Amino acid sequence: MWIAVFAVAAGVGAALLVLGSDRERSPVAVSAAVALIVGWAYVGSGLLARRQRPENPLGTVMVLIGFAWFATFLVDAGSSLVFTVGKALESVYLLGFVYLVLAFPSGRLRSSVDRALVAAAAVLVTVVELAWLLFADAHSQICSDCPSNAFEITRSDDAATAILQAQRTIGVLLSVFTVALLVRRWRHASPAERRVGAPVLWAGAGMFAALAFSVGNDILDHPLGQGPAWTRELVFASIPIAVLAVLLQRRLARGAVAGLVVELGGHAGSVDLRAALGRALGDPSLEVAYWVPAGSRYVDAAGHPLALPEPGDERAATLVERDGEPIAALIHDPALADERELVQSVCAAAALTLENARLQAELRARLAELQASRARLVEATDTERRRIERDLHDGTQQRLVSIAMALGLAESKLAADRPAVEPVLREARDALTAALAELRELTQGIRPAILVERGLAAALDDLSRRSALPVRLEVAIEGRLPEQVESAAYFVASEALTNAAKHSHATQVRLVAARTGDVLVLEIGDDGIGGATTGGGSGLRGLADRVEALGGRLTLSSPPGRGTTLRVEIPCV
Amino acid sequence: MRVVVADDAVILREGLARLLAEADFDVVGLAGDADELCRLVESSEPDVAIVDIRMPPSHTDEGLQAAKLIRTRWPQVGILVLSQYVQARYAVELLAQGTEGVGYLLKDRVSDLDELSTSVRRIGEGGSVLDPAVVAQLVGQRRKGDTPLEHLTERELEVLALMAEGRSNKAIAERLYITEHTVEKHVKNIFATLRLPQSEDDHRRVLAVVTFLNAT
Repeated sequence: MWIAVFAVAAGVGAALLVLGSDRERSPVAVSAAVALIVGWAYVGSGLLARRQRPENPLGTVMVLIGFAWFATFLVDAGSSLVFTVGKALESVYLLGFVYLVLAFPSGRLRSSVDRALVAAAAVLVTVVELAWLLFADAHSQICSDCPSNAFEITRSDDAATAILQAQRTIGVLLSVFTVALLVRRWRHASPAERRVGAPVLWAGAGMFAALAFSVGNDILDHPLGQGPAWTRELVFASIPIAVLAVLLQRRLARGAVAGLVVELGGHAGSVDLRAALGRALGDPSLEVAYWVPAGSRYVDAAGHPLALPEPGDERAATLVERDGEPIAALIHDPALADERELVQSVCAAAALTLENARLQAELRARLAELQASRARLVEATDTERRRIERDLHDGTQQRLVSIAMALGLAESKLAADRPAVEPVLREARDALTAALAELRELTQGIRPAILVERGLAAALDDLSRRSALPVRLEVAIEGRLPEQVESAAYFVASEALTNAAKHSHATQVRLVAARTGDVLVLEIGDDGIGGATTGGGSGLRGLADRVEALGGRLTLSSPPGRGTTLRVEIPCV
Repeated sequence: MRVVVADDAVILREGLARLLAEADFDVVGLAGDADELCRLVESSEPDVAIVDIRMPPSHTDEGLQAAKLIRTRWPQVGILVLSQYVQARYAVELLAQGTEGVGYLLKDRVSDLDELSTSVRRIGEGGSVLDPAVVAQLVGQRRKGDTPLEHLTERELEVLALMAEGRSNKAIAERLYITEHTVEKHVKNIFATLRLPQSEDDHRRVLAVVTFLNAT
């Protein structure tokens, strides 16, 4: 409160100074009015910003800019000392301004470039300004009817002019650089950042462009003539208006919450919650993570695990709680951290819907887990089959062959008592060969060699050639499929052909296998008596489990008297 | 006769080398995988390369692919493909590249040294050898509708199978205890019934018979 009072006083003081000055400054009344409005606008919007965000330094910075602005009017004083102090403080408001524009809206400078820019501006408006005052003669350097320069040590017009021109040149360069920086920042900004920062960013860029233009005009001795004295003031005044616009927008954004409530209430269940929340918060990149207490983790709407961003990441998270229990977390643009009232109101409004969605996500997560565990089970069985087949192929079978070889060798080397030993050896060799044949049958049943070596298309071709019923084969599969898919499909086809031959009384079977996109479709149809089921000892139940564990589907259609068709779809991922 | 052996199982590789040495073959090199085999064939120019089908790295059909490569790059080298299992389609693929100096046998056959050495020699001399199990597979395959095979006699079917194994008329006659003349008569009948072009050449008739069996 006292700041406001003080600001009113300072403003009135500044106005009186201008009006009471006996020097020409035209048009006096317009200048005084604009000065008052601009200064008060800064102090006023600074105070409002401080009330909305006490921890954000930018409110204070704006108040200080307001006072620094009033300080520039000290140059209209008659007293030499006051005049000189006013001259020394004349550009300080620009420092606050640089800080405000670069640090908006968080109040923190983002990079070392920002900090260097503020430091350079600080040196320029304090040290360099004072250095100039040490040499400047008020009458030749400032104005003919000014009071004398109280800080002047030794008059040197050359030094003063050089310092002034250097200060202005660097000022123009820094301004142009700042405009470029702001434009770049805009181009790289996320939608949420743009929404929050746009008014101040553009007003700031405009101000610096105007500053560069008018100081550049000064350096070159006004090739474009003297612009209206209050242009800079007017552009400068647009900043507090922009800040006010942002503050107002924060309040208005709560209207979006009302819209959200209506949207969620209207069609609960059918509405895309993520999109609705994104709209309400103005952040299309928003994601919703649901809390699964059982696993103490977050999942997305489909039930897949999701990690929350850590502090300092490119994304920020806001936790949503209900009755002290976590429900969900919104993962959003960090720019939304400056709008936590809005985020909190949106969370409160959506809490019930989020809780519902959380339950669904939790269910999906459990389903996904179940599916994964089934897939692991199939995988484990397959691995085991593979291990057994490999062990037999690389171990037992090789060993038996080598024994057969040794026997053969012994047989051929046999000299003495040949007639007695030969039949024994041959008998042993024959027994071995028979054992090898049996073993081959066994391993083929576990994992057919053709499937291992050539894949599903070749294995199905083989299967149909060996079938007891004539098979019309239509295969459209390029290359190899995932091993589990190949072996599941092969055993389904094998079982179906066996069943058709045993039970269907069919005369012909049609076997179609095709990969369409990422799905393998296998269909085995016969022209038999139908009436088949997946129950009982048909072996189809186990195969259906296997197919389903791979995320696929097995359907059996077997109307009595109209044949049996078994269809399997398995995703190939 | 110079022979190289490729099998990833040391026990078989070494055992086979011993057997072949016993049967007076000159075993000039052993390989554990397909790449090694190709280098070996290039450097030691053997008459016959004996190749296991399933070898590292993928343990699918590397040996067969290597066999096909050798047949294209070094056609003078005979190939005997060995495997724990026989697939009729592999035989067809091998024969499709030419029937000279090619063989495909079950690994079990190595226990009969006489049979093995006869087979290797036949291949080294440009003949062809197919395992009876392959022929049985070809003959036992599901027929699509009517097949002229049904019009062959039991004896003719036996002769057909032995022809498909790559045996000469003389060998068939010995095996079936009939005269060569009778075999010739059967062969003529078979070719007429199956409507295959007559061929004096043992190799060509293997291809003709196998192609017929695979296609019907």
